[in-house]
Amino acid sequence: MGNSKFGTKNILPLVTLIIGLLFSSLGFFKYGFWDKNIGTLPGFFPTIIGILLIAVSALAFFQSLKEENNYSKLENWYPVFAVFLIIASTFVFGMYFSLAAFLIFWVRVYEKCSWKTTIITFLIMFVIVFGAFGTWLNIQFPKGLIFNAIF
Amino acid sequence: MDNLQLLLTGFISVLTLQNVLVTMLGALLGLLVGAMPGIGSLAGVALLLPLTYKFNPTTAIIMLGSLYYSNMYGGSFSAILLNIPGDSPAVMTAIDGYPMATKKNRPGQALYTSNISSFTGGLIGMCILTFMGPALAELGLKFGPAEMTALLLVAMTSIGWLVGSNPTKGIVLTAVGILIASMGMDTLTGSPRFEFGSIYLLGGVPFIPFVIGTVGFAQVMKLVDEKDKKIEANLTQKLTIKGSMISLHEFKRLIFPALRSGFLGTFVGVLPGAGATTGAFLGYATQKAFKSEEELGTGAIEGIAACESANNAAAAGSFAPLLALGIPGSGTGAVLLGGLMMWGLNPGPLLFTNQPEFCWSLIASLFLANIITLIIALGIIPFLVKILTVDVKLMIPCITVVCIIGSYSSTNSLYGVIIMVISGMFGYIFERNGYSTAPMLLSFVLAPLLESNMRKSFIISHGSIDIFFQNPISLVLILILFTIIATPIVRGIIGVVKNHNKN
Repeated sequence: MGNSKFGTKNILPLVTLIIGLLFSSLGFFKYGFWDKNIGTLPGFFPTIIGILLIAVSALAFFQSLKEENNYSKLENWYPVFAVFLIIASTFVFGMYFSLAAFLIFWVRVYEKCSWKTTIITFLIMFVIVFGAFGTWLNIQFPKGLIFNAIF
Repeated sequence: MDNLQLLLTGFISVLTLQNVLVTMLGALLGLLVGAMPGIGSLAGVALLLPLTYKFNPTTAIIMLGSLYYSNMYGGSFSAILLNIPGDSPAVMTAIDGYPMATKKNRPGQALYTSNISSFTGGLIGMCILTFMGPALAELGLKFGPAEMTALLLVAMTSIGWLVGSNPTKGIVLTAVGILIASMGMDTLTGSPRFEFGSIYLLGGVPFIPFVIGTVGFAQVMKLVDEKDKKIEANLTQKLTIKGSMISLHEFKRLIFPALRSGFLGTFVGVLPGAGATTGAFLGYATQKAFKSEEELGTGAIEGIAACESANNAAAAGSFAPLLALGIPGSGTGAVLLGGLMMWGLNPGPLLFTNQPEFCWSLIASLFLANIITLIIALGIIPFLVKILTVDVKLMIPCITVVCIIGSYSSTNSLYGVIIMVISGMFGYIFERNGYSTAPMLLSFVLAPLLESNMRKSFIISHGSIDIFFQNPISLVLILILFTIIATPIVRGIIGVVKNHNKN
């Protein structure tokens, strides 16, 4: 699936180069580098590391021109979309409901597993989430707007 | 003898019912997660970190040690039964383990050999750690800020240089990890910096969501590629505990390679960046120089014993620099270090003097974990095929849920989940493009220590770089640093010149 067009492999070192530029410039100009009375200032260390990052990112960029790009499929990003949906849904329906809905949807609808597999998977995860985290570790998961409005 | 007495004190504090149960839980979970193909020890330890919240610091640290150590055992199971290494050190185990399990039809004996060898290697590593840890800490006490800076630079560079295929990419992510760690508060003055106006970022990027995302969630995104792959064990017989026993002759065959690799692996584990994988490779390579009853690569017991013993010994040996100098030898070690720091343990030269109870309890818990893990590892042999052949397509939503609740529970807010998913996205993109994220985790954990030592050095020397060349220890370390940096560059130049001459 690789090809030699300009892609993520080339963009990544450019992104890290910009990060280096941002941290070194903010470090030097905003937080300060050196004071002859105090010595090092908060920007001292990030400035040095930022400059190092700029240099190695530039080197990585030139190396990346010889490398082939390896593109990911849209499917690889489904878990990311799912997490963002779960975050949004948590505000309204609460975390338990959102996680349960995600699990059932993914296993039963998306992966087309049998109801038996879906229920077993659901029960195992229920024990982990509700039993281990909710009850044993006593983590208070968000209940959501609807639950809070009713109770 | 003092060390043995202190170790005994460690055992006294470890051997309570709660601690033994916690060690068992940690060992079982670590084994299962380490054994599942596709998760690996790094993601495994990261995902299981939140489970330690329930306990007091000593118990939590005992559980962390047991989780970390048992993970090293688990990687070999899938290598032997499925030819899919659970983690990178198990690559070498598959070379002889899989043929022994399938061609020779002796899967139980292969697993038994692997477990006994892991136990032997681990035990040797822990015994050496008991004596070497405090000695290393004593040496560490001679380190001032300049020596510490040089040492941390050596550790970070060697890991950035050694892990992954491209040293430049390793250094890129080392620097990125340091900059991410610098967000929040300045380590010396406590003034806010790089918080970009966010009150959440004032406290810095939270460690657990960052680690869970970078390794655990990134792994989920990677697993999507393998979700339709059918995992099947190519075995013709049912695994039983009784049927897996090895004979006295086979025990004699495994014990010498295991002892030899145990010593070798421990010393490899002490070196930063070398870790369990290098230990396993070296253990196997050394075994080639010795006589084996069967040819290596055809299912020889000696081959399994050599690499399994070496990788577990390296895992135990890596605790010496981790505890005595605060320098982990691998990405998994960095996660463990972060977990230890979360619980108030500050690894470094003063640890053995200031927090001996914590320290010796952790070492004692490793001994206990080694025994308990061996018992559990032998006990779960009949169920291994079932555990290892869990569908990847079911693991994807399950691990996603664990990532979400794990990162939520560490911050008690959705901010943790957001950090987790963002770190996961970047972790995945980096891994996909040949950047290993282990150096980033390591530098993230070590950055505050490096920054405070570097700044103190420059304050002492009034800004002069000479401070790094005045003391023999820092001078030697700086020379090592230059050698690490120069070696691949010189090797590259030699390669180019050779190619040029050929053409």
